Amino acid sequence: MATTTLTPTIPAYRTGLYAWLTTTDHKKIGIMYVINSFVFFFIGGLLALGVRSELAQPGLQYLTDLQYNEFFSMHATFMIFLFVIPMLAGFGNYIVPLQIGAPDMAFPRINALSLWMLPLAGILLLLGFVTGGTAAAGWTSYAPLSEDRPLAATGYGQDLWIVALVLIGTSSILGSINFLVTMFKMRAPGMTLFRMPIMVWTVLVTSVLVLMATPVITSALIMLFIDRNYGGSFFDPSRGGDAILYQNIFWFYSHPAVYVMILPAMGMVSEILPVFSRKPLFGYKAFIFATAAIGALGFSVWAHHMFTTGAVYLPFFSIMTFLIAVPTGVKMFNWVFTMWGGQLMLKTPLLFAIGFLTMFLIGGINGAFSASVPVDFALHDTYWVVAHLHYVLFGGSVFGVMAGFYYWFPKMTGKMMNETLGKAQFVVMFIGFNLTFFPMHELGLAGMPRRIADYSSTAGWNDLNLLATFGGFTIATSMVLFLWNVFVSLRSGEPAGEDPWEGNTLEWATTSPPPAYNFDHLPEIRSERPVFDARHGRTATH
Amino acid sequence: MSSSPRSSASRTAIFALGVGAAIIVVSLVLLAFGVNVLKIGDTFVTGLFPPIAVTTEGAEIRDLYTVIFLIAVAIFLVVEGLIVWTVIRYRRKPGDDTLPPQIHGNNIAEFVWTVVPTLIVIFMFIVSWQTLNAVDTNASDAQTTKIRAVAGQFQWQFDYLDQNDKLLYTELLPMVSQGGGMMVPAGRTVQLSLVSHDVIHAFYVPQFLFKRDVVPGRTNQFDFTVDAADAGQTFRGQCAELCGTGHSIMLFEVKALAPQEFDTWLAGKAASSPPASQAPAPSGGSPAPSGGSPAPSGAAPSGAAPSGGAAGPTLNLAASNIQYTVKTLTAPAGAPLKIDFDNQDAGVPHNVTIHKGSPTGEQVFAGDIFPGVAKKTYNVPALTAGTYSYVCAVHPTTMIGTLTVQ
Repeated sequence: MATTTLTPTIPAYRTGLYAWLTTTDHKKIGIMYVINSFVFFFIGGLLALGVRSELAQPGLQYLTDLQYNEFFSMHATFMIFLFVIPMLAGFGNYIVPLQIGAPDMAFPRINALSLWMLPLAGILLLLGFVTGGTAAAGWTSYAPLSEDRPLAATGYGQDLWIVALVLIGTSSILGSINFLVTMFKMRAPGMTLFRMPIMVWTVLVTSVLVLMATPVITSALIMLFIDRNYGGSFFDPSRGGDAILYQNIFWFYSHPAVYVMILPAMGMVSEILPVFSRKPLFGYKAFIFATAAIGALGFSVWAHHMFTTGAVYLPFFSIMTFLIAVPTGVKMFNWVFTMWGGQLMLKTPLLFAIGFLTMFLIGGINGAFSASVPVDFALHDTYWVVAHLHYVLFGGSVFGVMAGFYYWFPKMTGKMMNETLGKAQFVVMFIGFNLTFFPMHELGLAGMPRRIADYSSTAGWNDLNLLATFGGFTIATSMVLFLWNVFVSLRSGEPAGEDPWEGNTLEWATTSPPPAYNFDHLPEIRSERPVFDARHGRTATH
Repeated sequence: MSSSPRSSASRTAIFALGVGAAIIVVSLVLLAFGVNVLKIGDTFVTGLFPPIAVTTEGAEIRDLYTVIFLIAVAIFLVVEGLIVWTVIRYRRKPGDDTLPPQIHGNNIAEFVWTVVPTLIVIFMFIVSWQTLNAVDTNASDAQTTKIRAVAGQFQWQFDYLDQNDKLLYTELLPMVSQGGGMMVPAGRTVQLSLVSHDVIHAFYVPQFLFKRDVVPGRTNQFDFTVDAADAGQTFRGQCAELCGTGHSIMLFEVKALAPQEFDTWLAGKAASSPPASQAPAPSGGSPAPSGGSPAPSGAAPSGAAPSGGAAGPTLNLAASNIQYTVKTLTAPAGAPLKIDFDNQDAGVPHNVTIHKGSPTGEQVFAGDIFPGVAKKTYNVPALTAGTYSYVCAVHPTTMIGTLTVQ
């Protein structure tokens, strides 16, 4: 790589921290997205440990009922809105312009705006803890519980929650417009739509979902705010409103949001499996169509969260929910047959990607139980659902995020992560995850409802709860290993070089970390694997 | 398809056998140390199924669960096995730098794994739909027993209705162990309607394998039939939709009685409950409680009946946010007491009961249960010196205080 000497003089006050705080570089913004998301991941994780500690045995030991409700409400809020969604947006920010050969995002300043709304929203949510209580009506904040009711015990925290979510939603909308314009207008010559890496495709579909769904939840949040503060009556039946209306609007966003939380993680895994198998992704176009199908079907299944309300046309939402398993299954087979016949390099990114496959499979299968309406009558709002959603969001998204982090850390920092610590983290996290969440299937079947602070010692739930709590602390241990790995790797990691994994896509055709505006020159783009073509020649592909 | 040497397949087989052998060895070691591996395995497998259903509808749901479960296990074993096999089989050998065949896809395979899962999910949908039509029915006839469950933060009450929806009797105590509970006739269809006067709750009995939300502003209804063979049994139930700080204590119990026993019980309750005091049904949309004065609980040895004799001291006690405002009271021994009880929780029934020693000790007094906001004066007979607990019968786990008589 030719070194350029065209270094403009930068005033001293524009370097260091100031440079980070004022940057419009998509890579710095992407890294700050990732750091911000990890901060809230650890806060949300501590809240989860609080929840698990309280449930370890019957009786209220550490928290009051109200504090317990605050803990699980804020755990979910942080994990969903300030960890999973922004984390994936952060990786998208860093990776998408690089993978399509663009110098930056289309709107760099809007990009910075989307980022900085997130810590602001996080601070608003945290303020709840010092202003008389956070939101305590669950991350779903169903009305009329979330409205002003003497025993709901939701004070200003609920209003802070509404404002924070509107901010995060605005950030998502701006971000998704930015992604779409970047993808449609700034691709390098030769980078046709069907040569875009799968990661880019999943971010594309995700952006469309965000753009179509987020304004809908924003409307619900504003109506809730009016009900709470200005005497509105949208959702309160005692004043002529409709409690079910809130759920319809809420889930019209929040079910597509599930795909916002998993599609980019699928994209990451679809980048990692081919590289570490040294094979192309099996069924590239089928994978894109399956992603689009999931996105489209995702808008027709929202009421499967409401089967027990008695206000849903059950057969329609049941069949649509079952059908969404088909494109998901197609992807699963594509992944497995990408590895089939390959030469698997069992490095940490691949281990986490395989962890994603094995655990997301369970999250998909146990979802089919809830698609069956009568079975859902038994399982809805029990710990079964808690198990299901964590197998999707932790077994899926978090394992995917970890895979992506180990995969792209060398590109972002120029240093390799420690393999031994990485493998240890994978093993501990995999065991801890299953110890925590598998017993919840059995708790749910045995009739333990979710969101209860306490349970009777004679209900028969003691052993499984204790096991789940033990698993929760095992997961926490794996996170300590992770932080330690990041620390030692940043200090003294091996130099990564441009392309440590023999990658396929354009981010591996520039330095690690890439310079401002990313590329001095680009390889020819003749397929979805331009860097592979450059390394092995086009003929190797056929 | 693979260019790997043949020996790698047998190496993989040896690896798989090794894993299997390790599991057996670990199990044997655990057995040797006295851990009952078989029992743990049995508990694990049993736990993967819902409880045995006690209703006709629940039994059908459990059969459906078993069908879905078997399909799920088959899919899990095939796909998970495929993943594990692939990962073990196609590990990269050290020093092997040959590029594997670059296969981009296979139309036939992709067609098969699109169509076969589609057929499987359509099958699962059809069996689910059939079961749904059987379990989610609403076909009341003259034989149907009509019960209305009224939910409020954080208690249940059960209204028994006649065929014309006229209220016969209201049970304010949700737990059988507290002298209340929801009585149902075993073998007879019960039509349950669900009404909430504040937030959303959910009526959930695990052994019914069924739950239905209790939504303010809307009356939900479903039918169920407890098996005749289960007469005499009690089933635990609880609220399954987050409803506030007392969500975890919003418990109830359902007791199945033989039909004749149920009829006698209901007739007795209806007769002893003066019609004038019957509460009108709380209509959805109204935040107001059922109003009116409640029926006697039937379990109390004495109510608020005036008890003459020497006028004793008056104690003040209030309930607010499902808590007694005062947690300790003191009274003189040997003189009748008056308790001025101020229930400040709108729509929430409370009372005061007095127990010897611990809150679960022998009950020596039970005051009428009534919803707030309202006040009532209880006349408590003279107590001997000692320590007593006062407990709200509706919220026996959260509303507890200590009464010292000296």
